[in-house]
Amino acid sequence: MQHEYPRNGELTHRSFKKPKLSSEFITESDIRDEFSHHQPRVARINNGSFGSCPDSVLTAQRHWQLQFLRQPDAFYFNTLRDGITASREVIKGLINADHVDEVSLVDNATTAAAIVLQRIGRSFAEGKFQKNDTVLMLHCAFQAVKKSIQAYVTRAGGSVIEVRLPFPVNSEEQIISEFKKSIEDGKSNGRKIRLAIIDHITSMPSVVIPVKELVRICREEGIEQVFVDAAHAIGSVKVDVKEVGADFYVSNLHKWFFCPPSVAFLYCKKSTSSSDLHHPVVSHEYGNGLPIESAWIGTRDYSSQLVVPAVLEFVNRFEGGIDGIMKKNHDEVVKMGKMLAESWGTNLGSPPDMSAAMIMVGLPSRLCLNSEEDAVMLRSHLRDRYEVEVPIFHQASEDGEEGVRDKDGFITGYVRISHQVYNTLEDYEKLRDAINQLVEDGKTCKMLYTE
Amino acid sequence: MAAVNGTSAADANSQIHKKPRLYADPSPPLFTPSDILYEFSHHDPTVARINNGSFGSCPSSVISAQNELQIQWLRQPDDFYFNQLQPKILQSRTIIKDLINADHVDEVSIVDNATTAAAIVLQQIAWGFAEGKFNHGDAAVMLHYAYGAVKKSVEAYVTRAGGYVIEVPLPFPVNSVDEIVHEFRQALQRGKQNGRRVRLAVIDHVTSMPTVVIPVKELVAICREEGVDQVFVDAAHGIGCVDIDMKQIGADFYTSNLHKWYFCPPSVAFLYCKRSINNSDLHHPVVSHEYGNGLAIESGWIGTRDYSAQLVVPKVLEFINRFEGGINGIKKRNHECVVEMGQMLVEAWGTHLGCPPEMCSSMVMVGLPACLGISSDHDALNLRTCLREKFGVEVPIYYRSPKDGEDGGVTGYARISYHVYNKVDDYYKFRDAINQLVHNAVTCASLPIS
Repeated sequence: MQHEYPRNGELTHRSFKKPKLSSEFITESDIRDEFSHHQPRVARINNGSFGSCPDSVLTAQRHWQLQFLRQPDAFYFNTLRDGITASREVIKGLINADHVDEVSLVDNATTAAAIVLQRIGRSFAEGKFQKNDTVLMLHCAFQAVKKSIQAYVTRAGGSVIEVRLPFPVNSEEQIISEFKKSIEDGKSNGRKIRLAIIDHITSMPSVVIPVKELVRICREEGIEQVFVDAAHAIGSVKVDVKEVGADFYVSNLHKWFFCPPSVAFLYCKKSTSSSDLHHPVVSHEYGNGLPIESAWIGTRDYSSQLVVPAVLEFVNRFEGGIDGIMKKNHDEVVKMGKMLAESWGTNLGSPPDMSAAMIMVGLPSRLCLNSEEDAVMLRSHLRDRYEVEVPIFHQASEDGEEGVRDKDGFITGYVRISHQVYNTLEDYEKLRDAINQLVEDGKTCKMLYTE
Repeated sequence: MAAVNGTSAADANSQIHKKPRLYADPSPPLFTPSDILYEFSHHDPTVARINNGSFGSCPSSVISAQNELQIQWLRQPDDFYFNQLQPKILQSRTIIKDLINADHVDEVSIVDNATTAAAIVLQQIAWGFAEGKFNHGDAAVMLHYAYGAVKKSVEAYVTRAGGYVIEVPLPFPVNSVDEIVHEFRQALQRGKQNGRRVRLAVIDHVTSMPTVVIPVKELVAICREEGVDQVFVDAAHGIGCVDIDMKQIGADFYTSNLHKWYFCPPSVAFLYCKRSINNSDLHHPVVSHEYGNGLAIESGWIGTRDYSAQLVVPKVLEFINRFEGGINGIKKRNHECVVEMGQMLVEAWGTHLGCPPEMCSSMVMVGLPACLGISSDHDALNLRTCLREKFGVEVPIYYRSPKDGEDGGVTGYARISYHVYNKVDDYYKFRDAINQLVHNAVTCASLPIS
């Protein structure tokens, strides 16, 4: 079984560790200061959606912003490009890429998806691909990525295979077997699979996917290219792009790696085709390679791309650096997940070792969460009435499939709880008590609409 | 000031007394010179910053407003995403709609910059070719002086898709609007040769290098006469620099950066898309959840990022209305001052302006002494670096290759800008720097390479 999170005491060569006396490590009170701009009293257990950024990094960002405003021409000619290259070098080291040319900085995973898929679209338009050539994705792929596939693949004449993954999930084998089956089905119609898009950590519901194994299967099955959408990965699981072996790998740095909104890296393995990747916003650097194109897409604020070295400094104030942070987040989120499941009499959506810094926790069936709308309503209710911020997932029941039950009925709703360094036990107790209160009051989701 | 850009002076005047609806009453006091100094006190005081055209500028009070919005997001991003972001973007779009005289707020999308807007417009052209709506070899027409990034975008999305690109050569220095109109007509004729259709004309409202105000209203009318499918006006320098009125100009697409001359922080631009065209085919290239809900809605969410620059437009309007005459007062004064400074410089150097005053906006091209020996783009860049590093002057330099038969003429022009924070001293500093180089018989050949 693949362990994606760092084990006790395991330090990767990519940590850039500076030897530190224990007295120099960041303290609890330092951490509170660093995140003192977060809204107090809100139990912020949704780091997964929009991430978070500590004060010292925001200060570094402001410094870059003011430098530009002070004398933008000098900044453009003398400072910007070197600053972006420095960030790319840091990331190359963190992810174990071979060469900094393989690392481009873009706004977010959504932009990276557009880059990869636009090329697929061009291949159809230019006759390199035939009508009905296929792109494979997970059924629970991020909505924005699904739309991007619609915009660039379906529109261009390509077809799509969706891999349905079981949820709740019990083992990696379940995922691997479903994945293999879908590929077989796809190939059985004589279609050629041009690209597989695989999440490293799915968003909703959130599960850590055995990407290395799935990439290997893709190679065995002759799938031309593999794109790993790892929006949540860096700072929450180990990221080693050579080990994963995909052609493209993207992760947001503003989710779990303390960067301000927004910045992501797109790794593109060097190959003959990587020269035909372009940023969709075409500017002066068109044709000079994706990293250089992405470093100038017109006048805008590039400061979030420039703070990566400052973020590394921040991360290294923690014992164990990013590895230490990842381990602690994982241990805590599992602990909190179990605490909630026990209190509510429900379940976890996946085994602990298929989670990173987020985990799905079943909601009591008595809440009668029966639709997407119910999930949205409950989320708003928790925000407005209980000051708890947590995303909610509606698990539609499959025909003929045995759902998971609690003592009162089928579990159809899950919360996705996150743990980041600023979270405290109180955050999860607040959620626990809010749900228990709703159940105690006999509330169902339907009733929330009229409140 | 003479009528420019297809709008009459009367139209310009009718907007002078427009006050924002945000204020009850009374209006806050007008800025004093020392207020303005304070608002731009973050600019490097050692630099004569006469290049507002490239990267724009943003006053302190708008930066503060932006910081406030950034903190609001960081404080509770989920709440901001669900409850604040879209209403605030809509508010900005509504203000812009009024400023540009668009019919409906649906016609106004907010994007990062004109470069992004170009990608949006050109991508639908590429689909036109890919989906067989256009024939291989159908044409796109653009000005020879189109912005470099736009030319690359045309290459990426039009040439690559099978389109044929025609560049309209424009004379420079230019003496009259007629010269431009004549060249444009000729280029359209070329476009229509061999049964080709001209699918798109890309017309700058204010060219970048060399800078000249183009008679867009007239050129758009010619495009309609000649059966051009779509007209896209690239007015990166438009809003806050020249008069803009969507209905008057009549283009299908019109984009302008708000961070250049409209005091917004980097970066924000609007893309106007006339409702009558088939809007359903316009998409932001970064596809997210809102795909298919219309360009304006798509552009309002393209993944997690900092949208704060798009949200300060109301605050910018407040700032502008503390100037005498609001934005029209600012434009008028900028224009008059840049012409005055330009004339001062050409007199001091014995050169000439690149165009008549009525064909410039708040920027003008000023000929540099021929003895500097500017003989390539590299020379221009090296001279610019020298001016920045040795003299503390920031100004972009343009190299214009000599025409046949020309000898010893002016081959280099500086593009000077004038904006509310500029002072006469900035231009004296530039004048003196060039005079010193001339006095010391410095030529570009002897400058260090940047």
